[in-house]
Amino acid sequence: MLLINDLSFYRNNNVIFDNVNISLANGQITQIKGKNGSGKTTLLKVILNIIEARSGEIFWEGKNIKKNIFNFYNQTTFISDQYTSSRKLTVYDNINFWKGLSYSQLNDNDILLLLGTFNLKKYQNTETMYLSAGEIKKLELLRLILEQKKLWILDEPYNHLDNLSIEILNQTFIDHVNNEGIILFTSHYNPPINKIDVIDFN
Amino acid sequence: MFFIIKIFVFFRRESKLFFTNITDLFSNIVFFFLSIFIFVFALGTDEQLLKTIGVGIIWSLLLLSSILSLRKFYEEDFNNGILVIIHMSGISYELLVFLKIISHFLFVQLPFLISLPIVSIFFNLPTNEVYNLIITFFIGSLILSCLGSISASMNLLNKTNFSLGGIVVLLFSIPLIIFSVGINNAESELIYLINLLIGIALIFLGIAPWSSAAFIKLAISNK
Repeated sequence: MLLINDLSFYRNNNVIFDNVNISLANGQITQIKGKNGSGKTTLLKVILNIIEARSGEIFWEGKNIKKNIFNFYNQTTFISDQYTSSRKLTVYDNINFWKGLSYSQLNDNDILLLLGTFNLKKYQNTETMYLSAGEIKKLELLRLILEQKKLWILDEPYNHLDNLSIEILNQTFIDHVNNEGIILFTSHYNPPINKIDVIDFN
Repeated sequence: MFFIIKIFVFFRRESKLFFTNITDLFSNIVFFFLSIFIFVFALGTDEQLLKTIGVGIIWSLLLLSSILSLRKFYEEDFNNGILVIIHMSGISYELLVFLKIISHFLFVQLPFLISLPIVSIFFNLPTNEVYNLIITFFIGSLILSCLGSISASMNLLNKTNFSLGGIVVLLFSIPLIIFSVGINNAESELIYLINLLIGIALIFLGIAPWSSAAFIKLAISNK
């Protein structure tokens, strides 16, 4: 369970957001909506303590994350809107790197199966720089399954995806929520998932 | 145990990136060789002159060519956000910088060692001076990697003025140059000078992770 208490963030004395209170229970999926430039990405980064908040506290399972930061990171997957894969490495090398970082239990067959569902199997030994934007996004989203963490924080996960991949992603979200996982994401797209909590962020 | 796996994975990625970017290394070494040639041609064929100024010239050109590779140090990893992902996997920024320094030392600086004996031929250096050069460069390149880390992480905050990073490296490498060139003039106290160089290397190895990590944190929060 993630509890965000009175979070505020200022940049150069301009208020980006003020007094944000969010609580995410197990099995809850939450979408943050808002105009361009309203500070959605910044909010996610502040929640993850990548950017220091001006005031406010964040609790993960009853503990302040500032004092237990690696404990919190250990159960979190963050997919940013950037492409974190190294452009000059192959798809397989990138996956292997992520796998080693999160000591994932998946074996090579599972990874091939995963690549198959996202239609990336033929690019296994291709450098990421030759993939299209949507394909790189799908590669990024593979980290969700690979790392097997409880809390998923995603920034614009639906960008560049085709209809089939959006369906697969929605199904993945539903499966994760049914397994007591927590999802927090920003998007302008409204996914057809029941029981989705929407935070209007303006 | 898991921690060692993470470090191993990190180095495997660095080595793969090194082999895909091997042309960068070649161009750096070619730059080094060509600038040495230009010096030799410009000074003429005075054997004694080349012998006396040889070590100094080799060291200054080594410094200049090591500045060329600084841009690659953090920029790519910073721009695509993988630094944050590595940090979130449980590696602190300080350790990350330390690992980066070691991999820069292994993959970028050490290949220059091979070129040093070849370059020494052009300056007609005696064998013992070549040995000294190799020993001092082995320790000195670690210092250069630390300085490179500091200046490259500073440059993350400042995307337009690249020469500023070069100035930092040149400024802090003055003690390195003094002691590594001076080693040839003080043969009886060789071991003391080497100890001094190791001391400087350890100081920078202590300072670089903390200062670079501070710059990286600042750059990430200002992104």
